[in-house]
Amino acid sequence: MAADVTSMFEMRRRTFLAGAGGLALSTVAGVSRAADEVSGELAVLNWAGGTELDMLHNLQKAFVAKYPKVIIREVNVTGQGDMRPGMRTALMGGEKVDLFVNTWPAFRKELADAGILRPIDDQWKAYDWDKRLAPSWRDLGSLNKVTYGLTYTFGDRSGIWFKKDHMAKAGIADMPKTWDEFTAIMPKLQKAGFAAPIAVPGKYWAHAEWFETLLLRTAGVEVSAKLGAHQIPWTDPAVKTALQKYATLITGGFCGPAADMLATEWDAAADQVFQANAKNFILIGMWLNARAKDDYKLSEGKDYGLFQFPGLGMGHDDTSSVDSKEYVVTANGENPKAADAFLDFLTTADAANIIAKAGLASPSKEVDASLYGDVQKVATAAVANSKVQFVLGDLLPGDLVDEYRVQLQKFLQDPSDANIDKVLAAIEEKAKASY
Amino acid sequence: MKTASAPSQRGPDSVNHASAPALDYGRRRWRLGDAPAAILLLAPAMVLFAVATIYPLLETIRISFWDIQGLRKPVFTGFGNYILLFSDAGFRNTLLTTLWFTAGVTIISVGLGWVLAMLCALAPRQTLVFRMMFFAAFGISETVSGYMWTGIFRADKGGLLNSFIELFGFPDFAFAWLGNANTALWALIISSAWSAVGLPLMLIFAAIQSIPKSVLEAAYMDGAKPLSTMRFIMAPLSLPGVRVAVFINLLTALRAFDIIYVLTNGGPARATETVGYFIYRESMTQFKLGYGAAATIVLLVAFLIVSAPAVIQRTAGAK
Repeated sequence: MAADVTSMFEMRRRTFLAGAGGLALSTVAGVSRAADEVSGELAVLNWAGGTELDMLHNLQKAFVAKYPKVIIREVNVTGQGDMRPGMRTALMGGEKVDLFVNTWPAFRKELADAGILRPIDDQWKAYDWDKRLAPSWRDLGSLNKVTYGLTYTFGDRSGIWFKKDHMAKAGIADMPKTWDEFTAIMPKLQKAGFAAPIAVPGKYWAHAEWFETLLLRTAGVEVSAKLGAHQIPWTDPAVKTALQKYATLITGGFCGPAADMLATEWDAAADQVFQANAKNFILIGMWLNARAKDDYKLSEGKDYGLFQFPGLGMGHDDTSSVDSKEYVVTANGENPKAADAFLDFLTTADAANIIAKAGLASPSKEVDASLYGDVQKVATAAVANSKVQFVLGDLLPGDLVDEYRVQLQKFLQDPSDANIDKVLAAIEEKAKASY
Repeated sequence: MKTASAPSQRGPDSVNHASAPALDYGRRRWRLGDAPAAILLLAPAMVLFAVATIYPLLETIRISFWDIQGLRKPVFTGFGNYILLFSDAGFRNTLLTTLWFTAGVTIISVGLGWVLAMLCALAPRQTLVFRMMFFAAFGISETVSGYMWTGIFRADKGGLLNSFIELFGFPDFAFAWLGNANTALWALIISSAWSAVGLPLMLIFAAIQSIPKSVLEAAYMDGAKPLSTMRFIMAPLSLPGVRVAVFINLLTALRAFDIIYVLTNGGPARATETVGYFIYRESMTQFKLGYGAAATIVLLVAFLIVSAPAVIQRTAGAK
């Protein structure tokens, strides 16, 4: 009996050791297999261009270096202005991709409603992205408490770009902090030879930037959010007040003739400030940082700078407009494991630093903030210290956003009070049918 | 009466042979064995035509009865899109802009083509390079042409037109040509007409070249001066070429899109939006495919109205 017990114990011990060893081996093998499983073709729908595309390619290269068995196939969508049509066409045309970049919350909803997006809540938990991303970024990529997007970069849309030698030429030492200071430096710049200091690219969409930050600064983030969801009408007095502030820049002659604004696209407006030295200020977003360095060969912080939108003293000077770009994964992608691994990679220090080196901001806690240049530091600090609201135009349904931009073009043509009423009534009429 | 009139349509030879029509008819009559061969020969072209033209047309008509917005589930709406279309003030403006644009491009391109053809006809050999250059513009894609004209009409001092204006000492006349509703439409008309002038030039020139020399010689012998020859002989006899050029350029201008997309994007504030651009905006930018399809059918009807007289005339001529 004793022998039996001993042998039984021995057997149990052997069994345990064998089992433990087997478990250990299988665990190691399992991890190894998990790494091996990230392989095959990863199809990425791409619509970016220029320096931003270079940055995305660098991210892809670093990802492939980490997962050498992955081959990336790019499906390129080309166009100008709003890239959603090309993306819709590709997706509806049966193009199967694993992931793509999205920057429009309204488009995320459209895609999610159509069942094209795969939720990433399980992945968020499994990869423990909370360790690397603040909860607010998860909220930003969510829709009705379901997470679809992983933000990889964000930008300050209330930062005004300027070139330092222009300011020196006009004898301006400090950038304006208040609206009155801002309007007061305009005559100085005009005297220095800059006929219309503010570049307003009104051909497509960028003329809405001034209105959107002015709305935040005059009425606050809540009003802007309500307007985006059409919980208040466009004819609300708060909206009119923002346009009236915008009108003072136009009627003051600081933006130039309406025809000039309406004939200028966003990149031409940037050229006017940074290349032609014909204008001084542009409000357009952080993508300009990479363009200034790569295309204009300017030195960040030395040749050009960024200052936060001047305060209006209306109780909402702590607000900023922001944008973000997220990767979303598709429900019908053929390589979901590689897609998830790519999302995870975006949160790592390697990816965050590639983004930072490209002059953009990364939401990852792993980012080496010392890589940010002077301009990016100003922008990142401004976003961190602000009540933020996503770019209004990107929150509007496709049908409405077009009308919104066209009506704002009509506002540029005639910024009178009477026309502001007409413009807002026209947007409201469209909004009624768009939600 | 019927048998008597038939030979007269067959030309002078058949008039003297009463039995000829019957013989001809017999020769043309189909035999049973011809049908499979004819079908076989026509099949590739018919299949291509069905796939490339008939199917998309039927599909567009089908889609026009559906409300398709973005990636949402389509909803059948009957004639809803058509009713909405004609109550849409934006679409009505678009029709008016299309009318101005089409008329402007056609008149300028054919008019200029006619003048150039007349000038070329005075010295055909010496103007060969000149004619080729004009015709080459016709071969340039509208997108490329659009970018070229964007450079010409640019608002800043880098714009070629504004540079010339300043060079000639009129800096106050430099203007953002594409940023004003009126000048932008004219800029579009001029750039489109420039692209389109090569075809009328060649067609009208060919018509002039086909005037029998004996006619011109007879005019010369009768003492007609060059201007009179141009006015009373070359101009009337160039009309067949003018008709074809008007027809082609009218249809091309009616469906213009590329150059508008590149040059003005339909702006400012939709002032240069034609039906072609409206279809693109509704279908692609806003992804209202059903609404865009309804506008496409309306454009198709406009096409048929414009082209019907010419097609009927040509078909009748073929008989």
